[in-house]
Amino acid sequence: MINIPCPFCGPRNESEFSFGGPVKPDRPDPNSVTDEQWVEYLTTVPNPLGAVQERWWHVRGCGTWLTIWRDTRTHDIVKGPNDA
Amino acid sequence: MSYDVTTDRLPTFAIFDFKGTRKTLEKWTKFTLPDAPNRFIVNTGVILCHIGPDHWLLRAPLDREETLESQLKPTNAPADISIVRISDTQTFFSITGPNAAEVISIGCPMDLHETVFPQNSVSFSEFFTVKALIMRIPLGFEVAVEQSYANMIADYLDRATA
Ligand SMILES: [Zn+2]
Repeated sequence: MINIPCPFCGPRNESEFSFGGPVKPDRPDPNSVTDEQWVEYLTTVPNPLGAVQERWWHVRGCGTWLTIWRDTRTHDIVKGPNDA
Repeated sequence: MSYDVTTDRLPTFAIFDFKGTRKTLEKWTKFTLPDAPNRFIVNTGVILCHIGPDHWLLRAPLDREETLESQLKPTNAPADISIVRISDTQTFFSITGPNAAEVISIGCPMDLHETVFPQNSVSFSEFFTVKALIMRIPLGFEVAVEQSYANMIADYLDRATA
């Protein structure tokens, strides 16, 4: 279990949230990228060994969607590369 | 040994769900809405709960439902806010007494310590795996669940406090 910081509610138990998947890069224009790049965008889920940016939904709480960075090796919520 | 608590299934309340910006909602409803997240205020028997971003709940005794409905005029509300009567969707239980927090903690993962969840706190969380509204009241807590889960929750509470 992880303790997820909700911007409205503060830290809450993972069981109150629903996983929204990793944050994906912006959707490319399919006409301006190669087929390989388009298939890569559609089918490859980011799964780094380390920090991954993810969306979570506080569905059994206040309803907020939030974004966190989680380290896939330790399960810790960590600072992202652009966090102050 | 059992917990020192009293549990009661409460009668149906009048409940209205408010969504939209505070400014527009306050102008339309004529109610002052609580500002702090997950806190409620009581105003002449009406409880106003801030339960999410741009989201509030109003709770009042059921005999005030008709008056409130005519005052809030949900069907005529401006397009950028929403007011919905949800009275019969929620069943409330009260859990009061010295061990009330211990009983809530059996089925709720939220930190209920006074410093985190003080008087006038209210929040959606879970209660025995069901989404539930948890309110701190002077003698303990009140918990609301979707009415279809009410018999199950009553049963869990009986078992937990037997
Ligand atoms: Zn929340």
